[in-house]
Amino acid sequence: MTGVARAFDPQTALLAKHAQHVVLVHFPIALFLTGVAFDWAGRWTRRKALSETAYYNLLVAAVSTLPVLATGLLAWQFQLEAQRLKGILLLHLVLGCTSSVLICAVWWLHFRARRRGAALSGYLWMIEAVGVAVVGLTGHLGGFLAGVNVG
Amino acid sequence: MRRRVCSFVLMGAGIAAVAFMGGASRSSVAKAGQPPAANVAVKIDNFSFGPATVTVPAGTTVTWTNRDDIPHTVVSDDKVFKSKVMDTDEKFSFTFAKPGTYTYFCSVHPKMTGKVVVQ
Repeated sequence: MTGVARAFDPQTALLAKHAQHVVLVHFPIALFLTGVAFDWAGRWTRRKALSETAYYNLLVAAVSTLPVLATGLLAWQFQLEAQRLKGILLLHLVLGCTSSVLICAVWWLHFRARRRGAALSGYLWMIEAVGVAVVGLTGHLGGFLAGVNVG
Repeated sequence: MRRRVCSFVLMGAGIAAVAFMGGASRSSVAKAGQPPAANVAVKIDNFSFGPATVTVPAGTTVTWTNRDDIPHTVVSDDKVFKSKVMDTDEKFSFTFAKPGTYTYFCSVHPKMTGKVVVQ
């Protein structure tokens, strides 16, 4: 099979040692960070278009956490045969789950405010800031595990 | 006086030479008495197995040591052997009883591959 054919072969793309988690994880990270940036810009400038953009970024970020979480847990179950994790892997798992909860919570707080037609809570920016920090730390550990820092 | 000094020097040199030869012969005897090496080490460092390919006689035990800051595993393609997740400085050993070619990889980083050729 040639390189091009192999790239489009479903079995190679989906099963054969292909780390789906590493590919998918970029979506919630980028969408969440962008969503928070738009949200803060919307509050600062009081432009509704920016707040709308923030909401939809956070919505897609929350949705995209599901396949990322699923592929991460599946990789643990199948590639590592559900071994008891320790060290960086355990920390990455805990922070990854925390990140997912925070991303979904931020979206849900935005969703609840929109449904009620109420203003966003004053403390929401703090939850978003914690979310950005935890997502950043999780991503850093994920990159370290994946070897992106190898020279 | 000078003759006495020379004789002491010669005597010392002679004793040193005898001691050296005796030591050398003991050392070579010990080496000859040892069984052939049956343990081969593979180092995991900087996201690679080193050496990537080892050729060993049947019955050899290969020991992988993780020298990386990152956890790694050692898993053969045909599931003949499979390590747990190894943190820094942890080891995994497997004894290859049957001849053949065993390709393996790290299940955390599948691009890391290696080969053990058992003769």
